[in-house]
Amino acid sequence: MTSESQANDYLARLHAALTGMTVSEREDIVEEIRMHIRERLSDPQCSLDSVLAGLGPADELAQQYRTGLLVQRAQNSRSPFVILRAALRWATTGIEGFIVFTIALIGYATGVCFLLLALMKPFFPANAGLWVGPDQFAFNFRMGATMTNPNPPVHEVLGWWLIPVCLVIGSLSLVLTTKLIQFLFRRFRWKLPFAAATPTRPAMMAL
Amino acid sequence: MAQTFPPSPEIESPDKWEAQMRKGCLEMAVLASLWHGRLYGLEILRVLERDSSLVLAEGTIYPILNRLRTDGLVQSQWVEAEAGHPRKYYLLTLAGRERVTRMAETWTQFSAGLGNLIDPVLRDRNMEQPK
Repeated sequence: MTSESQANDYLARLHAALTGMTVSEREDIVEEIRMHIRERLSDPQCSLDSVLAGLGPADELAQQYRTGLLVQRAQNSRSPFVILRAALRWATTGIEGFIVFTIALIGYATGVCFLLLALMKPFFPANAGLWVGPDQFAFNFRMGATMTNPNPPVHEVLGWWLIPVCLVIGSLSLVLTTKLIQFLFRRFRWKLPFAAATPTRPAMMAL
Repeated sequence: MAQTFPPSPEIESPDKWEAQMRKGCLEMAVLASLWHGRLYGLEILRVLERDSSLVLAEGTIYPILNRLRTDGLVQSQWVEAEAGHPRKYYLLTLAGRERVTRMAETWTQFSAGLGNLIDPVLRDRNMEQPK
């Protein structure tokens, strides 16, 4: 494989791996890397292999771009899906990310469960409720024992008030989880993987 | 009697704490390199190496610059260069200048305060070195 085709192959793999970006963003990035390679090769002592080694595998380079974009979108987005995707990406890099992803998952799952319970109440008024009894205090959906025929002495206490209560708690869970995860992204941004780097040569201050 | 410490392998190789500390100041270093005017990616790498001994993998600088650009801290422009091919130059925006100024102030205060604390550590360590 000639140097030119080797470089083109690298750039094609980079282009293909830059998913989730617009065509113009991808082309801009690929063009910048192409010019970097050309600039470095203008030094006669520099080989294409060493330049590509310095850039790292095309997939990893693209992943750094994608992670930066994903985290940035998550910081400005209200979509739980965008935030969960960014948290999941963080989770693959270490224990801190895993904890953040777990918090996000629990927070969003809690919110969704409360909203579902509120939605189910009009269709299953006897089953959805806040059930109270000895050693029991739970928002849930009960099959069998119902509001009109609970397992004594367990009984439902909210009635139709369950809907607004669950809507408020569910919405608050979603909003607070989003705010918390966005705060953690900003707070620990410098730990996120887009700054991860491999030293290209031994140096005291290599990053 | 002063306590002596055996050489630790952690001193000889950068540990996780050190890597995270450097990673934390990377954004400031890149923004500061653009303080005097526009530079392209490879120039930024050379300035960082020359002025601060920070050696980055070449593939690291471009995703960082891309993020700083989308954050509005730098802006980029393609310029036809004498080298025969265009170069993508980066320059600080107003928000970028304000950000790096605040970072520099914080860094200076932080390092001065910490310097007072760690000076005796290094002084005593030097005194313990065999002559």
